[in-house]
Amino acid sequence: MKNPYQPIPTKILNVIEETPNIRTFVLKPEQEIPFLAGQFVELTIPGFGEAPFTPSSSHFEREVLEMTIMRVGRATGALFTKKPGDLLGIRGPYGRPYPLQEFEGRDIYIVGGGVGLAPLRALLLALVHDINKYGRIFLRYGARTPKDIVYKKQLKEWEKIKKVDIELSVDSADEPWERKVGVVTCLMDEIPCDVKKSVAVVCGPPIMMKFVTKKLLDAGFPGKSIYLSMEMNMSCGLGQCGHCRLGPYFTCKDGPVLTWEQIKDIEEPFL
Amino acid sequence: MTIHFLPNERRINWLTRLAGGHNLFLPFKVNSSVHWVRFDKGNFDINALALKEIRAAEPIKPFLFSPRERVALFPEPLEEPAAETPALLFGVKGCDLRGLAVHKIMFQEGEFADPFYSKRLKETILIGADCPEPKDSCFCNLVGLKPYVVEGVDLVVSVIDEGWLVEVLSEKGAKLIAGEDWRPASENQIDKRNAQRQEAEAVLQRRNPKPLNPNLPQAIAEKTNDDKFWAEAAQDCVECFGCLMTCPTCFCFLLYDQAKGDKVERTRVWDACYMAMYARVGGGANPRAKFLKRFINRFHCKFMHGKNLHGFYFCSGCGRCFTACMGKIDIRNIIGRL
Ligand SMILES: Cc1cc2nc3c(=O)[nH]c(=O)nc-3n(C[C@H](O)[C@H](O)[C@H](O)COP(=O)(O)OP(=O)(O)OC[C@H]3O[C@@H](n4cnc5c(N)ncnc54)[C@H](O)[C@@H]3O)c2cc1C
Ligand code: SF4
Ligand code: SF4
Ligand code: SF4
Ligand code: FES
Repeated sequence: MKNPYQPIPTKILNVIEETPNIRTFVLKPEQEIPFLAGQFVELTIPGFGEAPFTPSSSHFEREVLEMTIMRVGRATGALFTKKPGDLLGIRGPYGRPYPLQEFEGRDIYIVGGGVGLAPLRALLLALVHDINKYGRIFLRYGARTPKDIVYKKQLKEWEKIKKVDIELSVDSADEPWERKVGVVTCLMDEIPCDVKKSVAVVCGPPIMMKFVTKKLLDAGFPGKSIYLSMEMNMSCGLGQCGHCRLGPYFTCKDGPVLTWEQIKDIEEPFL
Repeated sequence: MTIHFLPNERRINWLTRLAGGHNLFLPFKVNSSVHWVRFDKGNFDINALALKEIRAAEPIKPFLFSPRERVALFPEPLEEPAAETPALLFGVKGCDLRGLAVHKIMFQEGEFADPFYSKRLKETILIGADCPEPKDSCFCNLVGLKPYVVEGVDLVVSVIDEGWLVEVLSEKGAKLIAGEDWRPASENQIDKRNAQRQEAEAVLQRRNPKPLNPNLPQAIAEKTNDDKFWAEAAQDCVECFGCLMTCPTCFCFLLYDQAKGDKVERTRVWDACYMAMYARVGGGANPRAKFLKRFINRFHCKFMHGKNLHGFYFCSGCGRCFTACMGKIDIRNIIGRL
């Protein structure tokens, strides 16, 4: 009998310091976790409980799994005391992946904020893996300050890829910074793709998602082409416990990525 | 299927036989209310058996979906649910079964069936019973149910003066009456049962004459932002969560981990969407920080999404929520005004 609550033992191989409060954990589960970009897992921090996170590594890489995690509270605080060699647990994958087939042949306009770039990295890596299938890929990413930008090295690498166009902004620059200053929507005044034929993908803090969505709608993106990562409280991840309810959906089972079309009638979808 | 008759003097024999190999539970009158009590032949007063009364104070939910249960261990796994003596629930009412219908959808029909629930349900034997005497709290007629059981159990018992009529609804049920000294029920006895059932329906109809709005889900959707309506509906609520903890259809739960030495034990406990922390996410944001939002959530869950997505209300009309309510809030009045 398969027990869906049972975590798989998972070793920490490496911990990468991304920003003062965001780290990437490189993990090796005892069994493969066959996730696809956009799906999430429940990570057990032994003795402290579970929390949902989206793998940020490529789903073509099956041996190890990376997760980029921000320290915000109890469980993530305990996670930040863990070192390479320590044991965690994982169960999943859960939720529905990005519908990559529907993205084929279209331009993809991605907007990320803060640690929200983590799930978007898995998406980006999947897109880049099959880059000929898609149109152009735009990434607009904002962080609070230059220090808070994750994946600094990789961003530089991705910028070199033909068909990939990246712009960055910070809310405030307290150190030398050559790119834009302002919240991420300041990168959206000109949208360089045909909005009717492209898809938009957004992940970040609720307030950012709210304003980015508004900008996308004003620019003419159809609601069904705007994909949003919805963060709700999760306990089971299985579509049973009720916690992640968002209108008629259970975010863990019907999401975590939902289109604006799906959630537009829900009162205050962004918390 | 066939209907059999068991004279009063043979009831104990039959119950004793049923109790072999099962944890047999029956509804008993304790003080003034009905509770599920384990059958104990040595200490059994058949006059306290409350088959004709309405549903027990507590739902049958905990027999299948445990209020508190260990569901995983770490790092060594817990693969098999613990073996238990299967339960035999004797005297399940129509409204009890609505809870099972909801839990079937939640725990068994999704991508990840719950092995703990499924195992218990598979082993549990359900014997239904009519409700010849609906009470003030009953409104099963408004949510599409009857005060008697016609499906979803192995046997159905109807009490008449001279004994029990037992209708067989499954093969499992047929086995339960094998070997006993049964007679087929007479036509006269079956007529008596049917008349009782009709009378019970009439009583419910008199108590709850006004049907629910046939477009109730739509009506709730439209009222969602009417804070005045909900504030008035919720004004006597003291957030005790009694209504949710006693509800047979509520399914929410929480998983939590505890360190036990160098091991971890994962426990599943019932949860309730009225609790302030229920929807809070990391860092502190909370989409239902305001109580009214949590109050409405219950109506969305039971009377809007349940009906829209699965075709029936996630409410059984059992009335336990307002029997338990500190604020004497009658859910019937709220949905009746929509
Ligand atoms: C689908 C999904 C993907 C996510 N991916 C990432 C990611 O890649 N990187 C990242 O940094 N963060 C991610 N998050 C957010 C992350 O889950 C929370 O930051 C984390 O749960 C906070 O846990 P905590 O105990 O440290 O916080 P606290 O504020 O201490 O929370 C206390 C408790 O509240 C509950 N709780 C709080 N937030 C959540 C939540 N979001 N879901 C379930 N229960 C919660 C838990 O029981 C938690 O233990 C994701 C969230 C979701 C829903
Ligand atoms: S609500 Fe209906 S089924 Fe339930 S006890 Fe009352 S009469 Fe019986
Ligand atoms: S909401 Fe009230 S009446 Fe409906 S099933 Fe729950 S306890 Fe019974
Ligand atoms: S039982 Fe009554 S007072 Fe208690 S939470 Fe429910 S509605 Fe509020
Ligand atoms: S997290 Fe339990 S239902 Fe979604």
